[in-house]
Amino acid sequence: MAVEEVLSSKGKLRILKVLAEVGRLHISEIAKRAGLNHTTAANHLEFLESHGLVSHKRFGRIRIYQLNEKDPRVAAIKKLFEVWERT
Amino acid sequence: MFSYYTVFKDETKLDINYIPSRLLHRLNELNLLNQFFSFVLRFPGKMSQRVLVSGKVGTGKTVLTQFFGMQLVREAEKRNINVHYVHVNCRECRGNMLHVLQRVLQRFYPNFPVRGYSLEELLQTLTSVLDEENAYVVLTLDELEYLVEKAGSDPIYQLTRLQETRPPNSPHRISLICILRQLEILKKLDESTRSTLQHNIIRLKEYSKSQLEDILNDRVSLAFKPNTVLPDAVSLVAELAEAEKGNARFAIELLWRAGKYADANGLSLVTPECVRMAMASVYSTVRKTDIASLSLHEKLFLLGIAKAFKQSEKAYISMGEAEETYRAVCEEFGEKPRRHTQLWEYLKKLSILGAVATRKGSTGARGRTTVISMPWIPAAQLEKELYNFLNKEEASG
Repeated sequence: MAVEEVLSSKGKLRILKVLAEVGRLHISEIAKRAGLNHTTAANHLEFLESHGLVSHKRFGRIRIYQLNEKDPRVAAIKKLFEVWERT
Repeated sequence: MFSYYTVFKDETKLDINYIPSRLLHRLNELNLLNQFFSFVLRFPGKMSQRVLVSGKVGTGKTVLTQFFGMQLVREAEKRNINVHYVHVNCRECRGNMLHVLQRVLQRFYPNFPVRGYSLEELLQTLTSVLDEENAYVVLTLDELEYLVEKAGSDPIYQLTRLQETRPPNSPHRISLICILRQLEILKKLDESTRSTLQHNIIRLKEYSKSQLEDILNDRVSLAFKPNTVLPDAVSLVAELAEAEKGNARFAIELLWRAGKYADANGLSLVTPECVRMAMASVYSTVRKTDIASLSLHEKLFLLGIAKAFKQSEKAYISMGEAEETYRAVCEEFGEKPRRHTQLWEYLKKLSILGAVATRKGSTGARGRTTVISMPWIPAAQLEKELYNFLNKEEASG
């Protein structure tokens, strides 16, 4: 995955930002907070998960997503958000 | 900018939700709880426990369990055991087990959705979350009466028998502490549910005057500036609270109020006279938070009852009289009155809350009527308080 595939997508960036801020969240709430519709959010999450940036756990009918903290790219993205917010 | 003198150093230490760092006069009960739950630290997951704590208002049920919970979690952390103490008030959850479980789940996933779930599903979800986190929960159901009244046996039964629905040898994840004022309410549960609950009971006695004085002195040192509260004032508060069935919550609230009177009158000392002034304005068992938690029509009904008492100067009114003034209040606020059966439910709730007392009256033409009294609250004061709440609600919405 090329970095521009994430950085050029407003939706994916918003989702990463929401997860960076909140931690763990289910899909409807992610969509709501990121201002996306459910399908778009689900597609973005599928993409991000297939590239190892997020992961999910399933509890019954609910899937809870979170950033994959072990991935160094996640740490870099979080740092980017942090620096951006500060300036 | 203006400044004024205050007798307080830290008012939050008199807040009803404050958990003191020392628990006075409940050490035996605390030891009992520690013994009941020692397995949590020694053999986590090997068993679960159910304990009942009962006692009148202000006998330290909530503070005892919260204090125990804090200690337990601290000790578990030292041993690297993932134990969570979750204290849920069933009244705040409107007697709904789904809301109770939501509170527990939200400890782990703050935004966990619960809408559209059945109780079974939610319980299963909770256990899988706890398995995933390898966590153990001691769940305290405070004011269990509300759950029993609203939901009956089934949800409590399902919660207490949760382990039986899990695969053999699964770790026990949830233990329960149930808090209630009177054990009699458990008669409303079916026998099997009752038997799962009633193994370990801790009964809290009313505090004596000297115990109340100790508790008050402890709070005085935390909440007030040095030498601002006269010993006689503390003694008087303790005496009044002892007469209120050893109610420590009442004592602490009265002490706070007395401090407020001292401040309002520009006094540098809290005197017995401040206590007397505070006492005149206190309505003991019903707190503002209790009133705030009532629904619109529950407030309107209570206002109707207060008005009936104010107008009649009688000690008792009938359900019919209460309904009549309630209908007048509804007209005043442009609300459609609820029907008799619903009002019955409201009356039960208000009675549990301690806002009114009820008893069966004489036999009327259509069965026995219910007689309502309001022994603890001045009707005019309650009426004023309710108008404040209702007018605010009307303005906001």
